[in-house]
Amino acid sequence: MTDQSSLLEDVRRGMIPAHIYNDEEVFRLESERVFGRAWVFVGHESEIPQPGDYVVRRVQEDSFIVSRGEDHRIRALFNMCLHRGMQVCRAEMGNASHFRCPYHGWSYRNDGRLVGLPFHKEAYGGEAGFRRKSQTLLPAPALDTYNGLIFISMDPDAPPLREYLGDFAFYLDYYTKQSPSGIELRGPQRWRIKANWKIGAENFAGDMYHTPQTHTSVVEIGLFREPKAEKRKDGCTYWAGNGGGTTYKLPPGTLEERLRYVGYPDEMIERMTRVWTQEQLDVVGRDGFMVSAASVFPNMSFVHNWPRVEDSDDVLPFISIRTWQPVGPDETEVLSWFAVDAEAPEEFKALSYKAYLMCFGSTGMFEQDDVENWVSLTNTAGGSMARRLLLNSRMGLLEDDATVVPPLPSEQFSGPGEAYVGYGEYNQRHLLRRWADHMERPPGTAEQIRVGGDGSAVTA
Amino acid sequence: MTSARAQWRPTGNGGPYSAESALGGHAPRLQRTGRSLPFSDERHLSAHHWLVEESYVLDAQHYDEWLDLLAEDIHYLMPVRVSTALGAGYDSAPGMAHFDENKYSLSRRVARFATEHAWTEDPPSRLRHYVTNVRTFATDDPGHIVVDSAVLLYRSRGDVREAAVISAGREDLLRRTPDGEGWLLARRTILVDDSVLRTQNLAIFL
Repeated sequence: MTDQSSLLEDVRRGMIPAHIYNDEEVFRLESERVFGRAWVFVGHESEIPQPGDYVVRRVQEDSFIVSRGEDHRIRALFNMCLHRGMQVCRAEMGNASHFRCPYHGWSYRNDGRLVGLPFHKEAYGGEAGFRRKSQTLLPAPALDTYNGLIFISMDPDAPPLREYLGDFAFYLDYYTKQSPSGIELRGPQRWRIKANWKIGAENFAGDMYHTPQTHTSVVEIGLFREPKAEKRKDGCTYWAGNGGGTTYKLPPGTLEERLRYVGYPDEMIERMTRVWTQEQLDVVGRDGFMVSAASVFPNMSFVHNWPRVEDSDDVLPFISIRTWQPVGPDETEVLSWFAVDAEAPEEFKALSYKAYLMCFGSTGMFEQDDVENWVSLTNTAGGSMARRLLLNSRMGLLEDDATVVPPLPSEQFSGPGEAYVGYGEYNQRHLLRRWADHMERPPGTAEQIRVGGDGSAVTA
Repeated sequence: MTSARAQWRPTGNGGPYSAESALGGHAPRLQRTGRSLPFSDERHLSAHHWLVEESYVLDAQHYDEWLDLLAEDIHYLMPVRVSTALGAGYDSAPGMAHFDENKYSLSRRVARFATEHAWTEDPPSRLRHYVTNVRTFATDDPGHIVVDSAVLLYRSRGDVREAAVISAGREDLLRRTPDGEGWLLARRTILVDDSVLRTQNLAIFL
């Protein structure tokens, strides 16, 4: 990028050079500097409950086998045979004690250890020529979990995940810890959209402003009553640590009444009151805010809505977790999971799944219109005129950078971070400022591994 | 070779999907029996005719008309396909689908397209459903038949992007209308041939 510092300066002021949503050079730098070091979500422990269970997930172009070993430990193993580099696992999911490379038959236990090397003695002279005993499939440089959510970082010196998430962990619990057992994840639905990955992350992080316009139709058909324009702006957006999200304002009532209002049955409410802290309960019960969409930098998002799924007045809440997996500057693979509390009643799980399908994912009636917009935006951002345009992402700020409304005081919002009622692009700016911080930091040097040699690592 | 694999999924587009769905409890369970009917059989001819008529309705996005072709207890299911090792015994994501619909949820989808704010289909896609490989089976109930078909949907939007193509096999359970003249769709399983869809959304029906 010829003028990177000026670009990042613009982004930090909330003026977004439109071409960052479809630019080869920007994308190359993102691959190196954002996805080369940030914590990236790849799956949940509930997807691989039994020893030997695995799912195969990617970070950019790197394929990892996320597996549970016989020791119940979760690992992420780079899906490349140590011999000639063939993928040792070509399924997306399954259960296996071993992975055998189809090319020359090298085989690995599900903890990554190389155990089968045909003609080791005859071909290599045994351990003297190739030290089989210490060899394993290359583990992901860093792996960490929170509430069962599995993250990978390509940076071996990445800070601990909990530190990276920071105070966003407070909000993460609403989606992923509604009982001591946490969530179970189903899916993902996967599909490719011709849109830049940042757009979805920004939208879920804080775009309450689009809801009444983009999603008019879902109100009109009686699917979801909340997004009416007058109602939507009563919610607040919050940013804390490395993530932020949107909320809806709930009608007056007690904690229990408000959780019932969004469709939770009493037995689930009872468990929430046991696992959430007083501050977490107060955001709902005292302050009257209920989390909806959210994003964690760089590309993981959440949504929690409560539509009508049958011809009655009852509503049913659902949770979706998704990643916007970059494929190219103008293409993203969406992985969208349905998440539900593991202790929820079976009937709730079934109807919550139905609520998810009707609203989000590949067929979701909300998501359909979102993606149409993002594809169009991405396409337009690829031309030369877009390079002349700095999009205004300063909603909520006056010219002197003072905010249009003051942040909510702690008496009105008990959550950590900074929260504002109404429409604003605070969170989109937070997200892109983190992006700018990553983009200006050159990558570190990565260690190289010599397969079967003296075992010592060298620095490239 | 008779393997466990052959037992969990028969040759054709059927399978355990509807029975295993958490939302399929209401669905009729009738299965195909015997070999496919001769192409000259009246049931095959009328089923084929029905599928062709339906595809024109879907191409034109006349979805109110389409809803009238569906039984009240329909289960409309499109599993999420996954790559699994040979012999794994399953090829769809457990507990997840793209569509897992009853008449009510389909009617909401249709109602949404009828509003003036379903942006994803305004302007509408140009759609062509190609329907082929049709074969028909009797069931234990003379009022029901099972029909396999292949469908290729060509979906073109605007003037910039490449068109999307979706290939799928379908297994339909058709039920005789009370007057005995036509058919209603009582169950449809759509086995899409991609694990990662190459279309921006499924704001269409297959």
